[in-house]
Amino acid sequence: MLENLAMGFGVALSLTNLAYCLLGVTLGTLIGVLPGVGPLVTIAMLLPITFGLDPTAALIMLAGIYYGAQYGGSTTAILVNLPGETASVVTCIDGYQMARKGRAGPALAISAIGSFFAGCVGTLLIATFGPLLGEWALEFGAAEYFSLMLMGLVSAAVLAHGDMVKSLAMVVLGLLVGLVGADVNSGIDRFTFDVLELTDGIGFTVMAVGIFAVAEIVTNLEHRESREVFSREVGRLMPSREELVASIKPIIRGTGVGAFFGMLPGTGPSISAFSAYMLEKKIARDPDRFGRGAIEGVAAPEASNNAAAQTAFIPTLTLGIPGSATMALVLGALIIQGIQPGPQVMSSNPELFWGLIASMWIGNAMLVALNLPMVGLWVRLLTVPYRWLFPSIVMFCALGNYSLNNSPVDVYLCAGMGVLGYVLAKLECPPAPLILGYVLGPLMEENLRRALIISRGDPAVFVERPISLAFLVATALILAVMILPAMRRAKGEAGD
Amino acid sequence: MKGPISLLRRLGVAVAAFAAISLSAHAYPDKPIRLIVPFPPGGSNDIVGRLVAAKLGEVLGQQIIIENKPGAGGTVGTAAAARAEPDGYTLLVASVAYAYAPALRKLKYDPVKDFVTVGTMGTGPVAMSVNPEVPVASVQELVDYIKANPGKLTYSTAGIGSFQHLSSELFRSMTGADMIHVPFKGGGPAMQSTIAGETNVNIGTLVQQIPQIQAGRLKVLGVGSSERNGALPDVPTIDEAGVPGYLASNWWGILAPTGTPEAIVDQVSEALAKVVESDDIKKALSDQGAAAMKMNPAEFAAFMTAEMEKWAKVVKDAGIEPN
Repeated sequence: MLENLAMGFGVALSLTNLAYCLLGVTLGTLIGVLPGVGPLVTIAMLLPITFGLDPTAALIMLAGIYYGAQYGGSTTAILVNLPGETASVVTCIDGYQMARKGRAGPALAISAIGSFFAGCVGTLLIATFGPLLGEWALEFGAAEYFSLMLMGLVSAAVLAHGDMVKSLAMVVLGLLVGLVGADVNSGIDRFTFDVLELTDGIGFTVMAVGIFAVAEIVTNLEHRESREVFSREVGRLMPSREELVASIKPIIRGTGVGAFFGMLPGTGPSISAFSAYMLEKKIARDPDRFGRGAIEGVAAPEASNNAAAQTAFIPTLTLGIPGSATMALVLGALIIQGIQPGPQVMSSNPELFWGLIASMWIGNAMLVALNLPMVGLWVRLLTVPYRWLFPSIVMFCALGNYSLNNSPVDVYLCAGMGVLGYVLAKLECPPAPLILGYVLGPLMEENLRRALIISRGDPAVFVERPISLAFLVATALILAVMILPAMRRAKGEAGD
Repeated sequence: MKGPISLLRRLGVAVAAFAAISLSAHAYPDKPIRLIVPFPPGGSNDIVGRLVAAKLGEVLGQQIIIENKPGAGGTVGTAAAARAEPDGYTLLVASVAYAYAPALRKLKYDPVKDFVTVGTMGTGPVAMSVNPEVPVASVQELVDYIKANPGKLTYSTAGIGSFQHLSSELFRSMTGADMIHVPFKGGGPAMQSTIAGETNVNIGTLVQQIPQIQAGRLKVLGVGSSERNGALPDVPTIDEAGVPGYLASNWWGILAPTGTPEAIVDQVSEALAKVVESDDIKKALSDQGAAAMKMNPAEFAAFMTAEMEKWAKVVKDAGIEPN
């Protein structure tokens, strides 16, 4: 393997490939910062340019855009509560609160550091266990996905701070929104009201940008010009020693969670970021700090989404199976180059495979070098008066949403979600469980029904398959841990 | 120092003026052309569209901009193209999905009256593969196996109303095969489940299956085209291997909104024919398990009518409810 890696670095360190790597990660950071404009659209636009490139250079650049976007995505999430990338939604929760308390600099810095660490680990994982992990990901069928999602949804209760009933209501509302669109298993349209654009459901970006960013703007505009001005002075840029120490373990755990979800096709960085956040909150000594600017709540999900962005290349490269639309596009670029992505790509095009892996490590180093010095610049953005800032945020939100499907309907929907988000904020309903229900609900339903079709209706399939059973047992344990203390308390009260 | 530059500049202005005059003589195209792809980036429509658009733009002397307008099985983008100004600056990539959409959904456009055919770009067959553990070695053996074990096998597709689904239904209605349908969201996950053995049969796009076939993760039984595919010359067509008359190939063509001046349609059609016949495009398509296909507007129109009838019948026979 060392020999292979050496060859890979030989390929990646050539001047051309370095240049394309830099170009890719720079572009990635940029589109990461711009809300809604994601790697999918960018890669699609750049695809024709890659036709004339050497395949390795093309792949290095496209990959750089993909994982680079995860770095940039946290910037606006932290500064203005606007998720730049879908996976940054979770970063909004605590990152934005940190910024409000004048700690935007440390939040941005820790997210870059966490991303770098996760990126390096992810790359190492691909290099050492790539093919093995790819095989393992194949073990995940419909039953396993269902049990995993069930575990996720049950753990979602952890996301709640404060009113449990409200959190549950939000999860259910999210499930309902997730139902909109054609049902995968029957093909029947649900809640589309004959609007063609709703047939494919309400997009994640529409939801995330609407509920978080647009709603935040409306709320801010209520207070005439007094928007809780963050500190006028820029404040500390780098995290303190305590903050760094507090972040180490969350970054490591987040990386693990992210690496796991990244390998599973169809889950991706968003679910991994949520999971990492929930894990941190669950094991924290004082979970109350979460949602109020806990640095662990930034470190873990940011590490997680970047680890996932790296390991997403495992099924793509070792099996030739794209885990997401963006990965499908990357594979398309390879096919156009005359390279058949698939199990043999490692042996038939070793310089491509190892060159890419080496370039990912270099790209991550470039990203951290690119992003850390930018922290000061970004934080200064907060001193811009809000009346100048918010129109541009709204414009970028609209632009990003439009660019996804080139559809004005998405822009209207996002505005509608903004109104919903505002109402929810007034009712003090937390938005995170809503997003989680929206993401997990449809996946759960799809996989539940698929598993039952394949088992001819026999529900035993969920406990007969070992991985699925393991998730179900874990779910039961989580439930027990959550419910038992409450029951004990109730008993104690009854005994008084 | 100033002299030569201003001379150059004047020369430039003169050249530009001359170019403008020669352009106005045959005005089209004097601004970028928009090519609507009614599917998301990364699919076959998008990749073939982008490949051809780059070359077509060179031949026409104008940039062609791809605009992905996905949604509702391609009908959202198609409806948008139908509403566009018919001036030759909006064109649409149509595929077999255009031909079967009328049978599946309520449309916000008239598939016969709202568009005129310009030309075709290429065609790519489906391939029928099974998980290597399924004990059959040919299409005929699969048919026999299903007859002996009705309802035992499952087949994965890219979703209800996808081309893979219709191709599978065509196979079922022609052979009476009793298999259980497991729809997925997209061709990748569907194929993955067949590779993993969760489902047994996958009628998918050839280009997606080739690497898996070569790696021995899928056992290919036949291809859906009328002739064998250059990438897999040893693999028979499904037609010759046990289901005579079976033909399921995707195709990609270009349409223009009705009302587009005939001269422009012809001009684009001729340019497209040149592109489709070029070695670059032929090679790029065959790398994808597809083949270049050239048709003039009249041929394409006749082909389209036949395809619409064929797939409408498949939808009806399979009992897929229109939405």
